[in-house]
Amino acid sequence: MLKPGEARAPGHTYQEAIAKDASQPPEAFLDYSYEFLGDQDIPYTHYTSHDFAQSEMEHLWPRVWQMACREEHIPEPGDYQVYDIGHLSAIVTRTESMQIKAYVNACMHRGTALKPPGDNGYCQNFRCPFHGWVYSLDGELLELPEDWDFPHVGAGTHSLREILVDTWAGFVFVNFDREAESLTEFLGVLPEHFRDFDIADRTIETHVCKRLPVNWKAAEEAFMEAYHVKETHAGGRDFSEPVTTYDVYPKNVNRFIHTVGSVNPRMAVPPSEQELMRALWGRRGPAEGDCPIVPEGATARDVYAEVIKKSLGAQYDMDFSHYSTAQTLDSIEYFLFPNFFIFPGLSLPMVYRFRPDPKDPDYSFFDLYFLRPTDSAKPQSPPPEPLMLDVQDSYTLAEGLGFLGAVYDQDTDNMAAQTRGFKTCAKGGQTLGNYQEVRIRHLHQRIKEYLEN
Amino acid sequence: MVASDLEMDALASDSRKVIQHEGFCILVCNTGGVHYAIENRCTHQDTSLDEGRIRNGFIACPLHGVRFDLKTGQPRGDLTRIPVRTFAVKQTGDRLLVQMHKADPHNEATT
Repeated sequence: MLKPGEARAPGHTYQEAIAKDASQPPEAFLDYSYEFLGDQDIPYTHYTSHDFAQSEMEHLWPRVWQMACREEHIPEPGDYQVYDIGHLSAIVTRTESMQIKAYVNACMHRGTALKPPGDNGYCQNFRCPFHGWVYSLDGELLELPEDWDFPHVGAGTHSLREILVDTWAGFVFVNFDREAESLTEFLGVLPEHFRDFDIADRTIETHVCKRLPVNWKAAEEAFMEAYHVKETHAGGRDFSEPVTTYDVYPKNVNRFIHTVGSVNPRMAVPPSEQELMRALWGRRGPAEGDCPIVPEGATARDVYAEVIKKSLGAQYDMDFSHYSTAQTLDSIEYFLFPNFFIFPGLSLPMVYRFRPDPKDPDYSFFDLYFLRPTDSAKPQSPPPEPLMLDVQDSYTLAEGLGFLGAVYDQDTDNMAAQTRGFKTCAKGGQTLGNYQEVRIRHLHQRIKEYLEN
Repeated sequence: MVASDLEMDALASDSRKVIQHEGFCILVCNTGGVHYAIENRCTHQDTSLDEGRIRNGFIACPLHGVRFDLKTGQPRGDLTRIPVRTFAVKQTGDRLLVQMHKADPHNEATT
C-alpha cells in the first residue's frame, strides 16, 4: 500500500526518459527531490482576504530577496531602476565606482518618492522634485537648499536609507530587511543546479508586464504544474507530452522539468518516432524545409534538438553544440520563493516575476521576460522597454512571444475564472494533487513560515 | 506666426546640437544613425534637456530623470504627463531640414 505522495503516473519518470537521450543531461536534471507536504485544502481566504494580503505585506515582502532588475538595466554609473512591491519602493543604481546599490525610494526631507513607480533611466544624482534635496549615487546627502534652516540635518543623519542588494546570474536582487540572510544562503541549490547554464551572459529580448485578474499566488500557481496542460492548452486531447518531475529543495527552491517530444507512456497506442518528429516540426507554425527523417534507432527528440541548436546558433551567431537534448528542448522551470521563476533551457528561455497589486488582492502584476543567449565579447543592445498590457489585453500583442502569446492567454482565462470561483465555492479551499501540485503547497508552506514568525 | 523651417548639416552619429531658431530652443540629435529634433525644454520643471543621456530612443532629463521618447515626445513615468514638442526631420544627403511647422509624424499630441 502506497503512502500519500508515493503514487506516480504509470510508465517512466522524467529522469528515466532523459537518461535515454543521445547526450548526457546535466547531473541536476537526474535528481529526485520530492517530499510529501500534506494534503489539507488551501483556504480561499488566503487569496481573497484583504487582511491576509496585509499580513503578507507586513511579514513577507519586507523580508525576502526579490529580483529587482537585470544588471544590463544599469550598465553605467547613474543608471537606475525602480522596483516596487506593494507600498515599498527601492531605487537600484550603479555608482561611480561601478558598485550596485539600492535605496529606499523616498526623500529624507518629507518623504517624497524620488522616482516614479517602475521608472528606469539615468541621472547624475538623485534630486527630489519637491524642494531639491540632492543625493549622490552613493546615497549621500549632497545639497540641502537653504541649509540655514536645517541645523539638525546632515549627511550623517539624512542620507538615503540603503537596503540590501546582491547579484546572481546577471539578476539584481534586493531585500528591504537589513538583517536578512545573505542572497547566497537564500538561493540554496540554485547556483549549483545552474552550473551548466550561461544565464549571466543572456540579455532580455522581450519584456511584457501584464496586470492579471487574480491574486499573485494563484497567478504563480498557474505556472507551477504541468497537470493543466492537457486541458488548458490541448482541449483535453491526448498528446505526446509531457512527462514531468516535480522537486522541492530547501528552503526556497522548487522546480518542474517536463519533456518535449518524448513518448507519453499513458497513451494506449504510442506514436512512432517519425510521428513525434512531425508533431515537433509543426510546433512553431509552418517550419521551413522538409521534416527530417528520424534514422532507425534514433529519437525524434535528439534529431529535433540538433535542428534547434543549429537554427538558434545561426540566429544568434553562437555555438550551442555543448547543450544536451534536455537542456535544448525541455521545459525546465525553477522557482525561487516568493515570486521568481527562471527557465534556463535554450528553446524556452523565460523568466517570470509576480507581484501583488497593493490596491486589490484579486489582481497582480506579471513581468514576463524572454532572455536570449549572447556572446559576451560582443556589444549588446540595451534591454527593451517593457510592453505594458492591461487585464483585457491579449499577449498576442507582444510580437516577441511568438506562438506562446496565445498560450499565455489560455492561462490568463483560467485566472479570472478562479478569482470568481474562489468567492462562490462552498468548499472553502483549493484541493491539491499530492505530487503534481506539491510546488503550490511548498509556496504556501513558506508563506506560513514568514507570517507566523 | 509659424517659424520657418531650419536647414543644417547632418550630425555625426551619436552627437547632438542645440540651436536657437526664431524663438525656439531646439535639440537636434543623431542616435544610432537616425536624426531627431525636439524642443530643448523638459515639460516637468523647465530644464534644458541637452545634457541628458540618450539611450534606446529616449532622452533622460538630467534634473529628475523624466524620459521622453525622441520619436513621439511622450514622457515615461508620472512626473509629467505633458509630451515634449517634436519636429519632423528630413535628411537629404548630408543636409537636414527641421520642419518647424510639422510635428514629428509620430507625435499626435503636438500636431
